[in-house]
Amino acid sequence: MRACQPSRDGYVERDGVKLHYEVYGSGEPTVFLLPTWSIMHSRHWKMQVPYLARHCRVLTFDGRGNGRSDRPTEPEAYHSAEFTADALAVMDATGAERAVLVCLSLGATWALELGALHSERVVGIVFIAPGLPLGLSAARLAHSFTERLDTTEGWAKFNQHYWREHYREFLEFFFAQMFTEPHSTKPIEDGVGWGLETDPETLIATRLGSSAPGEPFSDPDRAAELAGRLRCPVLVVHGDQDAIRPLVNGVKLAELADGELVTIEGSGHAPQVRDPVRVNLLLRDFIRMSRP
Amino acid sequence: MIVTPKPREQTRARYPDEEGYVERDGVRVFYEVYGDAPTTFLLFPTSPISHSRMWKAQIPYLSRHFRVITFDPRGNGRSDRPDTAEAYSYWEFVEDGRAILEATRTETAILAGICDGGGWALMLAATQPAAALGVAAIAPCVPRLTPSHPNYRRYPSLEPLDTDEGWAKWNVHYWRRDYRGFLEFFFSQQFPEPHSTKHIEDCAQWGLDGSAEALVCSDEEAPLPFASEEEARALCRRVRSPVLVIHGELDGCQPRERAVAVAELTGGTLVALEGAGHLPQARHPVKVNGLLREFAAAVVPTSNPGH
Repeated sequence: MRACQPSRDGYVERDGVKLHYEVYGSGEPTVFLLPTWSIMHSRHWKMQVPYLARHCRVLTFDGRGNGRSDRPTEPEAYHSAEFTADALAVMDATGAERAVLVCLSLGATWALELGALHSERVVGIVFIAPGLPLGLSAARLAHSFTERLDTTEGWAKFNQHYWREHYREFLEFFFAQMFTEPHSTKPIEDGVGWGLETDPETLIATRLGSSAPGEPFSDPDRAAELAGRLRCPVLVVHGDQDAIRPLVNGVKLAELADGELVTIEGSGHAPQVRDPVRVNLLLRDFIRMSRP
Repeated sequence: MIVTPKPREQTRARYPDEEGYVERDGVRVFYEVYGDAPTTFLLFPTSPISHSRMWKAQIPYLSRHFRVITFDPRGNGRSDRPDTAEAYSYWEFVEDGRAILEATRTETAILAGICDGGGWALMLAATQPAAALGVAAIAPCVPRLTPSHPNYRRYPSLEPLDTDEGWAKWNVHYWRRDYRGFLEFFFSQQFPEPHSTKHIEDCAQWGLDGSAEALVCSDEEAPLPFASEEEARALCRRVRSPVLVIHGELDGCQPRERAVAVAELTGGTLVALEGAGHLPQARHPVKVNGLLREFAAAVVPTSNPGH
């Protein structure tokens, strides 16, 4: 059951891939809640939609690979440029000339491309726990994603073979890392449920696509270049207990984009779920500032 | 000696406008008053296993519409901790509530309570009908009205046992040995709802503000208020005000038959909450707050002009 139902929903189609979008509320500016990694779909914004829709028009869509959107099988379909073009297609279909972008984790790469390459469509960007190649923990870098490993301990679970054989266990591990805050059993359960709405083969394709050479998710120079080209207002929100993308990513992005950084003490990788009131108020203030 | 700093009290959504103590037979009992609306809710505590923070999800909501009075039970919170069992008899808590109504110049109130507190609210309403606009009893405990919940009949509570498993923890020797372990077990049983880790942690912490000794006095050694089932039934029949009984279907502390009996004998209304445990005010606050407000609107129509 949802606290707020969409006022409109529909599909856009690009190269045979259908994407499901939803529109909530009305009023300026349009706030566009971008998809993140397709391990989740747009319901991860469920704590933001009802609040923001009281003040402005809110757009969401399910990223390719999960939710009510199609699940192409080839990794190329998950390059950053595809998600960016999807986002523009959704804006076109809903008559959103410009929008405030809000993104989580991997969604940062699409927000960077939209802001740097389509600046006329972007009023401002809020990056939550940006997933950029600006600093990963040693534990995560220690294991290959593609090769078969002789361990399944910890981050060794971030491995395509493990996903194929133990998908739910991987999801449980990943979302436990995502929500490091105490009393997170419900968000973890939600996350695992959303992850189960897609499948390991799709998720492997998303991973191979997003981490291909030259992609802003894997290439620090490309990410830095895009961040340096942003001219809109930028807010970066990052938890200091983020076990997926350490705080250093947020710190560096805020520097590169000349944006403001808000560090949330005690927060993990999804403060919009686990500290929704705090994040919603930050979003409200940022949106107010960007009002024409 | 190692001194562990006491955890700071959690911030509150609403702070009291007035606080004070009443004193009876040398025992000081701490109360708080929120707001100044014409209609008052007196929220009874429960046994010294907890204190008035158990109402934290009600106070900010109710005090937007009503005047709300809470108090800490003798044996926990900011109230005194007498060391005799007699000081923890049911009637003592009822008299504390009565004294607080007087001290706060409250002529009438809706009396609400959970578990023991539900029993105390009924006892105050039965003995001072003019003060009770209504009684909202959540998972009420009226001793001897029905057999106690089977959980309490699994093991003897006063004899030393050779096990600490499960409900063997409802045992005074275990309480004295590992009060925290008891509290964590007990509240994990009282919150059968999924995703209750925060509620269990809160309740265990509030329990640790009290002591095993106070619980031994109140729950095991204090004289029972009624000598027989018939006395307990007679007490319920004496209540003249409207009564709302709320009972979670998964309650592991107070049996459903008891809630049914209270509703029948008082002519009250029973609301059974599906999927809820013993403490729905904590775990289902929106539901319970709505029920309390609707009840108030029914018993004091003018209390709720916006409704």
